[in-house]
Amino acid sequence: MKVNVMVDVMEANDRIATASKEIFDRNKNLVVNLMSSPGAGKTTLLERTAEAFAGKVRLGVITGDIETSRDAERIEKYNIPVVQLTTVTACHLDANMVASALPHLDLSQIDILLIENVGNLVCPAEFKVGEDCKVMILSVTEGDEKPLKYPLMFRESSLLIINKIDLLPFTNFNMDEAKANALKMNPNLGIMEVSTTTGQGIEDWISWLKQCWQNRVESLRSA
Amino acid sequence: MHELSIAQNILDIVVAAAEKEGAQKITRITLVAGETRAIVPEQLTFCFEVIAGGTIADGAELDLEIVPVRGTCRGCGEGFIVEDFLYICPKCQGRDIEITGGTELRIKDIEVD
Ligand SMILES: Nc1nc2c(ncn2[C@@H]2O[C@H](COP(=O)(O)OP(=O)(O)OP(=O)(O)O)[C@@H](O)[C@H]2O)c(=O)[nH]1
Ligand SMILES: [Mg+2]
Ligand SMILES: [Zn+2]
Ligand SMILES: [Zn+2]
Repeated sequence: MKVNVMVDVMEANDRIATASKEIFDRNKNLVVNLMSSPGAGKTTLLERTAEAFAGKVRLGVITGDIETSRDAERIEKYNIPVVQLTTVTACHLDANMVASALPHLDLSQIDILLIENVGNLVCPAEFKVGEDCKVMILSVTEGDEKPLKYPLMFRESSLLIINKIDLLPFTNFNMDEAKANALKMNPNLGIMEVSTTTGQGIEDWISWLKQCWQNRVESLRSA
Repeated sequence: MHELSIAQNILDIVVAAAEKEGAQKITRITLVAGETRAIVPEQLTFCFEVIAGGTIADGAELDLEIVPVRGTCRGCGEGFIVEDFLYICPKCQGRDIEITGGTELRIKDIEVD
């Protein structure tokens, strides 16, 4: 006997993500899911963000670094609540893992919750975790054709941060080509050029994030 | 390796669907997977065989219907299949292409006894 199913494979995950989203709504958190290849600069971006918002905006971080707790230790230096997820798969965070971190955070004392996903360009984009938006980092050492090979992540993201632009002279990365490729996958994608080590362009990211948070607060107020 | 998580999701969904029908055994599963989901069929089949062991889906055949990436040219409106990441319109050579298919990941149907 044949039985029609027609169920999205991510259905169970999406249900948990929706429940987390309701918790974030109640606590007025802006939640950002940060994704990239391994080593593209996620933790460094979090460090710069912590510096810029110190004493102004209350941040919280969930990190999915599997190998070590180094990422969490780097963030803790900034006196920010951090939860290090330990039971993660090798390649992505899912809604269940993120939900398991929530009891360890006082969400009522957090304005922006940044989630550092596992370094991978494929599956993190498939698993919603209750975030308001996805932000992806592409470093110039990775190549400008990445958007064509990993369309899903570029489609799902609201913002693309092109990082390590201080290394541009040493690569054959074509900035115009990279941007054109990314916009092909997602014409609404915001794009900015940054170096998280020299600090170049960081102010663009900070004002983007601040604007996002303001929009979130306003939309929750009018809801 | 997202195949393991995907295999687990598939197993949960098909077992629930089969139990709802009062079925004793799942013999075949048809999965529709868009090319953008970057699924490696051998890995998925392998993972599924392993985790389905001892369940009512033990030994079930997993059929993958791979859906190619489809694009529509924003310049001239031509619809076409995107091969080898070549997002170029075959009619006008335009490069402004909207992805219109190949993003799904869905269980279509199952065969049960
Ligand atoms: N030159 C240069 N190096 C950078 C930049 N941003 C990060 N790096 C370096 O890249 C390496 C990885 O940076 P991380 O911030 O740890 O990257 P990540 O994405 O958190 O890495 P994983 O968590 O391991 O996936 C570090 O050695 C950084 O110093 C940049 O803008 N320019
Ligand atoms: Mg990191
Ligand atoms: Zn994965
Ligand atoms: Zn055309």
